[in-house]
Amino acid sequence: MGSPFGRFLLRRLGLSLLTLWLVSVVVFLGAQVLPGDPGRAVLGPLADARAVAALNKELGADRPPVEVYVSWVGGMLQGDLGQSYAYRSPVAPFVGDALLKSLKLVGVIFLIVVPLGVGAGVIAALNAGKPLDRVLSVASLSLTVIPEFVSAIALILVFAVILRWLPLSASWPAGAGPLVQLEHLILPALPLVVVLFGYIARMARAGTVEALSSDYTRTAILKGLPWRTVLTRHVLRNALVPTITVIAAQTGYALGGLVVVETLFRYQGIGNLVLSAAKAKDFAMLQAGILTIGAFFIVATLIADCITVMLNPRLRAELGR
Amino acid sequence: MFRTISNLAALRFGRTDVQNHVIDELLAGRLDRRSFLRHGSRVGLSMALMAAAMKTVGFDPIGSALAQSGTPGGTIRVALIAPSGIIDPVTVADQYGLLVLQQVGDFLVLDGPDLVLQPMLATEWSPNDDGTVWTFKLRDDVKFHDGRTMTADDVVASIERLADPDNGSNALSAFKGVLSKGGTKKVDDHTVAFHLDAPNGNFPYYLSSDNYNAIILPADYAGNFEAEMNATGPFKLEKYTPKVGATFVKNPDYWGGEPKLDRVELSFYADQQPQVLALLGGQVDVVQQVTVQGSQSLFNNPAVKILELRSNAHRQIHMKCQSGPFADKRVRQAMALTLDRPRLIQGLFRGMADIGNDSPFAPVFPSTDPTVEQRAKNIEKAKQLMAEAGTSGFDTTFTTMSIQELPALASLIKNAAAEIGINVTLKIEDPGAYYGSAVPGKSDWLDSEFGMTDYGHRGIPNVFLTAPLKSDGTWNGANFQNAEYDKLVEAYVAALDLDAQKDAAGKIQRLLLDETPIIFPYFYNWLTATAPNVAGVQPTAMGQLFLKDATVG
Repeated sequence: MGSPFGRFLLRRLGLSLLTLWLVSVVVFLGAQVLPGDPGRAVLGPLADARAVAALNKELGADRPPVEVYVSWVGGMLQGDLGQSYAYRSPVAPFVGDALLKSLKLVGVIFLIVVPLGVGAGVIAALNAGKPLDRVLSVASLSLTVIPEFVSAIALILVFAVILRWLPLSASWPAGAGPLVQLEHLILPALPLVVVLFGYIARMARAGTVEALSSDYTRTAILKGLPWRTVLTRHVLRNALVPTITVIAAQTGYALGGLVVVETLFRYQGIGNLVLSAAKAKDFAMLQAGILTIGAFFIVATLIADCITVMLNPRLRAELGR
Repeated sequence: MFRTISNLAALRFGRTDVQNHVIDELLAGRLDRRSFLRHGSRVGLSMALMAAAMKTVGFDPIGSALAQSGTPGGTIRVALIAPSGIIDPVTVADQYGLLVLQQVGDFLVLDGPDLVLQPMLATEWSPNDDGTVWTFKLRDDVKFHDGRTMTADDVVASIERLADPDNGSNALSAFKGVLSKGGTKKVDDHTVAFHLDAPNGNFPYYLSSDNYNAIILPADYAGNFEAEMNATGPFKLEKYTPKVGATFVKNPDYWGGEPKLDRVELSFYADQQPQVLALLGGQVDVVQQVTVQGSQSLFNNPAVKILELRSNAHRQIHMKCQSGPFADKRVRQAMALTLDRPRLIQGLFRGMADIGNDSPFAPVFPSTDPTVEQRAKNIEKAKQLMAEAGTSGFDTTFTTMSIQELPALASLIKNAAAEIGINVTLKIEDPGAYYGSAVPGKSDWLDSEFGMTDYGHRGIPNVFLTAPLKSDGTWNGANFQNAEYDKLVEAYVAALDLDAQKDAAGKIQRLLLDETPIIFPYFYNWLTATAPNVAGVQPTAMGQLFLKDATVG
């Protein structure tokens, strides 16, 4: 790792681990503030106190909180995510399954929204000031302000209840192939597509407009390069840097922040995993869920930074110094 | 008449005094059809015997309300909220986990939709003279899913497991003061005797489907129920996936006859709304429970059938009796007089609820004394009571949870209280925060001066009468301390015959109406929604769905 880029990566990874540890401390402290205990959460408010105490003992939840945390960190360092209080089994399969599901959904969302958003933004920029630009801008802005739970219900009613074109549940039948899975994920992806489309389109438009009016673009045009080359090599390459940053940031949000969509479409992603773990005071599950989201967020940002660096010669040069 | 008497004489033969008393009551015209069924079943008269007895006095025998037409076979798809954790018969504590248990398991006794006990794994049961020992006879033709035959040993182990304080048992609070560890004893291979902590006239309900943890498991059950779900029920586990759902196939060797359906598919959801949408979208056939607040689109919708069951599920509005502005019972009475209950029922439940009269004795309980005067809105009287108590009004905080219609009811209570000068600040929180640690000092539920809690349906009012209201009750948020009340409740719980129960009930109802530690505004109905082509689904207000005779299409 002698290269400047390698050192950059190493430093970022180190910082990421520190961030994740801090997140786990915050989750630990937050969990102490939540009222009640795991045994009470399992058995409910009306259960006998003796039964609650017996269950807490069985689960190991009667130990002092710091001891619970320290033994959990010890397990983590050996690659053991811990045991779920609510499900009385290892946390890892639950988190792995939920992460995979969330990634699939996020994948479908971005597969749809990135080409649409970037395309619309670039087209709007190329037609800046013309009616097409205005239509696209107004449309993208109005779509952004529709909350997922509103668009989701509208989409369900139209496509799943009235027309019955698409399955309502995002959970595909066991053993379904990729195409069936995709069919189940289109409808759940759309509410997020609606929200993100405006964001991405506006970023892409702004970047493109700026690049189009820049000196290097004028130079490129004046030196006689074909328009297509100017657009791909000079305009888009510069215009899309901020867009990529936005997309990366939204990926992290989309992974963990889809509780509403997961709930409406009956999908056991990582958002719902964290929510139900918090309700059940399921310490290891909560930690694992939040850290997974955090790690994913960090990785997504890191990838975005790397792409930015690679696309931007000036940053590359700075790293070299 | 002679013939009738001789028929009955034949029926009486071999019955205990308590059982014969119920037959006498029927003969004397003091019991209607429904009360006879309920009380007869409680003291262990068989359905066949009761049908014969009713025939002799000219009642219709037990109706065939469940006789259904529909094509056998196929899969029924049921939507419910995801159970909150592992499915273990000992610890399950929510209405979702219990639905899973009940597909694969059976109880000794079934508490039917009309609160009439019916035999399940037990064929008959009877108390000794003072109700301290109850003896249950078991079926001898019951097989577990793994092929072994069920015997008394399995029953003893199953119930002892629930009564053991070292087990994290959810049933422990129900058994408290009723049945302790060591109280369940095998008499012979098909007879079990329960030696109780105190006389109890309603003990069979504690072993019925009301006590949803009490499915009978093999004696050697050692945890990990989810792997096999080995019990005696009409359906056998096919596949269980935590957080996602479960599928079951019919048990062809079921002691109660082969189920009509081939398969049952339970799908877990995180909320009510997607279940409603799934029903409308034809993706599920049944939604376990719908609420009026959350399912407006289902009512008056020809594409949906609503199964409505009267229940005693309710909300309790407690007022601290020992300190603060509500310490004077006239203030509590005044508060109770501000509520327009018929309007609440209309507005919040489209009329699908029974009116409450500030005691746990819901109209559905046969022991409820209907002659007690119903409390109705009366602002003038309320103001007068406030004046007599020496107050023109005060500030208070009303604490409750953000579930179902509770926030809406809280706002209506705030407005009603304002009419008599009580200025209410609402504190509406998440259920976890409201219940807290569920012990005084660490629970808004038990510590709040004025608050509201939800209580699910029970087959008998015993828990409602003791835990939130007795002086030593563990859920006594009202801090109600009344020695006379405590004695009356003990008498009610111990009473074996209906007269004594009714007598104690009437006294309790009048005492609570006067003291008003808790306002019981209504008892709301249990609602299950199905697609129009579904028949034979038998819900209970506990949340169970008996699907053995169900058909789809």
